[in-house]
Amino acid sequence: MDSTAEADVRFDNVTKHYQNVVAIKALNLDIPRGTFFSLLGPSGCGKTTTLRMIAGFEHPTQGEIFIRGERVTDIPPYRRNFGMVFQNYALFPHMSVAQNVAFGLKMRKLRRDEIAKRVRETLDLVKLNGFEDRYPKQLSGGQQQRVALARALVIHPTVLLLDESLSALDKMLREEMQVELRELQRKLGITAVFVTHDQEEALTMSDRVAVMRAGVVEQVGTPSEIYESPRTEFVAGFLGNSNFVDGVVVNASADGAGIDIGGEQIRIDGCTASAGERVRLALRPEKIDIVADHDVGNRESVTATVREVIYRGAATHVYLERNGVRMQAYVRDAAGLEPGREVRCAWAASSMVLLRDA
Amino acid sequence: MLTARPFYRRPFFWAVSAPPLLATLVFFVGPLLLLFYVSFMSPSSTQLFGNHATFDNYAQSLTDSFMLLTIRRTLGVTAAVLGVCLVLGYPVALVVARMTPRRRLITMMVLLFPLMISNVVRAYGWLEILGHDGLINLVLVKLGVIDFPLRIIDTFQAVVIGLLTILLPYMIISIANSLTAIDRSLHEAAESLGANPLRTFWHVTWPLSSPGVASGLMLVFFLTLSAYVTIALLGGVRYKLLVSAVFDAVSTLQWPQAAALSFILLALALIAGALIQLVLRPHRVQGRG
Repeated sequence: MDSTAEADVRFDNVTKHYQNVVAIKALNLDIPRGTFFSLLGPSGCGKTTTLRMIAGFEHPTQGEIFIRGERVTDIPPYRRNFGMVFQNYALFPHMSVAQNVAFGLKMRKLRRDEIAKRVRETLDLVKLNGFEDRYPKQLSGGQQQRVALARALVIHPTVLLLDESLSALDKMLREEMQVELRELQRKLGITAVFVTHDQEEALTMSDRVAVMRAGVVEQVGTPSEIYESPRTEFVAGFLGNSNFVDGVVVNASADGAGIDIGGEQIRIDGCTASAGERVRLALRPEKIDIVADHDVGNRESVTATVREVIYRGAATHVYLERNGVRMQAYVRDAAGLEPGREVRCAWAASSMVLLRDA
Repeated sequence: MLTARPFYRRPFFWAVSAPPLLATLVFFVGPLLLLFYVSFMSPSSTQLFGNHATFDNYAQSLTDSFMLLTIRRTLGVTAAVLGVCLVLGYPVALVVARMTPRRRLITMMVLLFPLMISNVVRAYGWLEILGHDGLINLVLVKLGVIDFPLRIIDTFQAVVIGLLTILLPYMIISIANSLTAIDRSLHEAAESLGANPLRTFWHVTWPLSSPGVASGLMLVFFLTLSAYVTIALLGGVRYKLLVSAVFDAVSTLQWPQAAALSFILLALALIAGALIQLVLRPHRVQGRG
């Protein structure tokens, strides 16, 4: 897929300063048409600034922004044709549901009957028919969310911008809305840019995720790429948990490398480092099995001491120690494991990831 | 269920609200009723009021050509003060509302500063500037723009200027407070839907600031109606308003007449208050939900 031709939103070397603080550093980003694209990162990483630059609420200090190939850097928000769902929904309190949804169409000077028709259709789409004459304050959080979504979608925007739009909802409703929002986005084939600090939410909803940190995109990829093959320690640590292991490359070839990790040697698949190099590796806790010696098979393994065993329902979290370094393993069956016991931890060579220096 | 119980049945409601309610009844509603009664009594040269009922006090006030002129002038001055306050005050309030909280606080203090000076002192200050031998006339004569001093004092303009300097801060602060309360994301939402700054103002900012505009207008209106010192000093004997007429009636011991004029003032205030509410409909923003 040629992403530049298909990109609905494109950041070309965009930098944003606030006084002396650099919020975004030389950002290059393509958001392909029709994708659900998440900007994920901790607060202050620049994800909201990035979203607000697409909207035009913030102006880049340097660089250019393109929407559908058109340079929009200097175009004001009201001429950019995007829909936005704000964190607090930002519904107009003095307008009814129908008036809120009709607002964008009224600004576009559509005919009255056309407006009525599209408002009706869009309220149907978000399952809010019958609520036309209610006022925002008379609605629940979930209903307000739907109105905000309808208001943003009714104008047929080029991109739909979602600013932490689900974070105000309680857990149950939020998971329901995640699915609904995703279905809706797919049905309409609209490009959506979603800002969130919730890694689970980003993984659940997105076609592609950009993980950001301190104004820089650390990695862009599909949820499974980001989760299974994190490229930096930050990405590996921010999405779920990871064990980090330091080692020295003993031998390296195109299809793998042998790495010495303090007395024991293990292998990893695919390696960009060369022999003698110090490297850092990441391994997901759920990829580790705790096994008897004869069950290791052709997997990689190390010996560690059990420190703590915590039952968590779906999995049991086993806290281990090896050479003074803590490790975690999530296992199904923790029978016989107790603090102080020496065990064998095994994983497939392909599960361990070599991290690039961040 | 505490929340389901009406407010007047909650514990302590009466304990807390009874004393002020009682004080209001005794010292405000009571005298008002008495005044209303007096306004329908005949005048008397020996007592506060005579002993037979009459509509004359009202009839005279509303037919006498001088009184009608006074009422017209009162409404004219009030309308001018309201108009200028709104036109000058709203833009200032917009600027104030966009400041950081700290700067806003300082600006508010600066705006309130004129109110810390006594009305009398301020009115005399204006006399020094606008008077027959005041600053403006002095300069204009010296420059040869005019041959004789203009009469600025004792006119409509003098009264309006004098009132504006007192009342503009009320208007600005009232509007600024309601503008500050508007969530910035509402403006952004309007923009995201294609509204340019002007339409954003008209459809979002203006209606959402209407509670502040309404309360500002009412404050200014009521304060204009009841301002006396400024009107007496800057309007003098030549430019009298209703409040001066009340004062004149009292000083000539025509208590029933004064009472009737007071109720005409009150009626004007009530009508104006209702009109302001009707036009701006601030309840659109406040009372829903």
